[in-house]
Amino acid sequence: MEAIWLYQFRLIVIGDSTVGKSCLIRRFTEGRFAQVSDPTVGVDFFSRLVEIEPGKRIKLQIWDTAGQERFRSITRAYYRNSVGGLLLFDITNRRSFQNVHEWLEETKVHVQPYQIVFVLVGHKCDLDTQRQVTRHEAEKLAAAYGMKYIETSARDAINVEKAFTDLTRDIYELVKRGEITIQEGWEGVKSGFVPNVVHSSEEVVKSERRCLC
Amino acid sequence: MSDKDDTETPVITETTPILKDEIREPDKNSESVDQSAKPESESELVASTRRRPEIKPSSDLETSKVQETVSKDVTQTGWGYWGSWGKSLLSSASATVATVGQGISNVIEKAETSLGIPSPSEISSEVKFAAEETSTRENENSLVAGPFGVFSTISSAVQSTGKSVIAGGLDALEFIGKKTMDVIAEGDPGFKRTKGLMNRNSTLSQVLREAKEKEELWTSNEVTMETDKNTHYGLLFDEFQGLSHLEALEMLSQESEIKVKSVLNSLSGEELETLKLELEQLKEAFSLAEFCDEEEEERKGDEDFTKEITELFSQLRVSSKPEKLARARNTAYEWIKAKTLAERKEEEQLEGENAGKVSKSSVEDIHAFAIRSLAELTACSIELFHKTAALVLHGQKQDVTAIERSQTLSQVTVVLCKELSSLSKEFTTSLTTAGVKEKADALNPLITAVFLEASNSASYIQDAFQLLLPVLEISLIENRTESPTHELQVQKPLSEH
Repeated sequence: MEAIWLYQFRLIVIGDSTVGKSCLIRRFTEGRFAQVSDPTVGVDFFSRLVEIEPGKRIKLQIWDTAGQERFRSITRAYYRNSVGGLLLFDITNRRSFQNVHEWLEETKVHVQPYQIVFVLVGHKCDLDTQRQVTRHEAEKLAAAYGMKYIETSARDAINVEKAFTDLTRDIYELVKRGEITIQEGWEGVKSGFVPNVVHSSEEVVKSERRCLC
Repeated sequence: MSDKDDTETPVITETTPILKDEIREPDKNSESVDQSAKPESESELVASTRRRPEIKPSSDLETSKVQETVSKDVTQTGWGYWGSWGKSLLSSASATVATVGQGISNVIEKAETSLGIPSPSEISSEVKFAAEETSTRENENSLVAGPFGVFSTISSAVQSTGKSVIAGGLDALEFIGKKTMDVIAEGDPGFKRTKGLMNRNSTLSQVLREAKEKEELWTSNEVTMETDKNTHYGLLFDEFQGLSHLEALEMLSQESEIKVKSVLNSLSGEELETLKLELEQLKEAFSLAEFCDEEEEERKGDEDFTKEITELFSQLRVSSKPEKLARARNTAYEWIKAKTLAERKEEEQLEGENAGKVSKSSVEDIHAFAIRSLAELTACSIELFHKTAALVLHGQKQDVTAIERSQTLSQVTVVLCKELSSLSKEFTTSLTTAGVKEKADALNPLITAVFLEASNSASYIQDAFQLLLPVLEISLIENRTESPTHELQVQKPLSEH
């Protein structure tokens, strides 16, 4: 069986330009790492199914945003319809870490009246020798905003799966507890279709048919 | 945009007479018109979503009656017009075409019934749904039927002339699709300026999204096989992120439209008149007059499309490149080529008994691949339009005017639609060849489905193109205000980091 999911979550990936947002998403959705890639224009779209429990799948719709300032007015428009987000900075780029605060402020303004569950992602952790941001300070910042922190590398495929699936699980829990609800006119969470029971009954029918033959 | 309302109403009402006929999908268009009067029709929607030609909800007829009374006065002129158009179109269509394989003669018999098939009916049934939402928001719901005007014209023309269309060949259908807009414009001079079929921005992606969701629902309910799922245009279109890009394009388009309006409101007198005049010129470029009626020169070889589209994009001076699109398109052609070769080999090897079985699976393969390719190409095209819009709005300043860009984009649209039609021709020819031994009623629906999805694809692309108009308008306004004075800063940079 394929492509039957419980929910569809819309996730947004934000952060300064060149921190590796598109590379992280491509690693997650396509399993590849591109050495060179063009800067994202506006937004790009990806999707993938994630199995959070055996038989329980969530479809992730991932919105890859341009980090460049000039596209900011476009990307801002997408916060509102997202339920979760990965906020990336580059551990070898101090500036991108310092901007995390501003990113959060900006989303806060534009996400109203909804909320986004964010995870803070320290990207390019394969380049540990060039590190400019310690794990400790990143964790501290994340905790201050009530976020989880994870370090990833798209190139070496470190924690990429984990970053997305952990976030998905957290959102799923909130949905299950009713803290996030499906709402008309909001695209953040949508219900999918539950695999229906026809399978089993169809098999019954089939075997009956066989008997008749 | 309220000035467009009255001019566009005839588009819908002209399709009304079809309601009396046996073809189901067009009547959904018109239903959208009276949605506000009849909002409780959701249950019947579910039934009609299924692609079963034999299910014909009686309420459709009732609705159509309501519809007729609603739009009686406009309708009267409409039908006669369409009728005569159908005839003249067909004669020219069959004159230009005679290239389809012999196997196509099988098709003729079932042409009429098979036209009631798959996704068009599904999609068009969604119009209603979408219309419901739209109409609650605004009363301009008549526009909703936009893209589906194409369906109804196809159906009506095909039906009235029946077999000869199919006999006439594959070109007829795409030809009809292409011509629809022009015809509408010719029939109603008031409409001419806004030739684009779809001016209600929110509709297209809404309609497609609902269609996809219904397809998903349908496939899950029916527990169809995987192969079956592979032929659902809406699902595939979404898989290639076509819906998302369309939605994104719509957002940019709506934003720009609002800005254009506010600029126009802020101006008066001579200033306003000059701007209006310039915007008028821009609109001209969006009226897609360039669809050639006569059969184009024979395909000039595989490289041509890639070259042509790449050149056009370099003229646009945006950083996005049509590589993905070209790749998808070339893959499709290579696939067909390989398939044809393989078939020939099999033919030689098998010469007989098992041949029927082999071609059966290959016919389905071709069909599935055709639908997939059409969905992919359309999604790529819409992605390109989306990126272009983003770059026109927020890219670096380029030495190219909005009008020049519009003209180029208009050419891009033409090239894309032509490509879709020639690709669908390749596919149907391949289907016809592979399916010589098939029964007509097995082959016909597949061929028809490819035609219709190709025609739909072309409509989506044309509609997406129209979404670029406000984007280019605001670009024009920004350019003219930016060069002499800086009084109009429409796009303010956000907080500095």
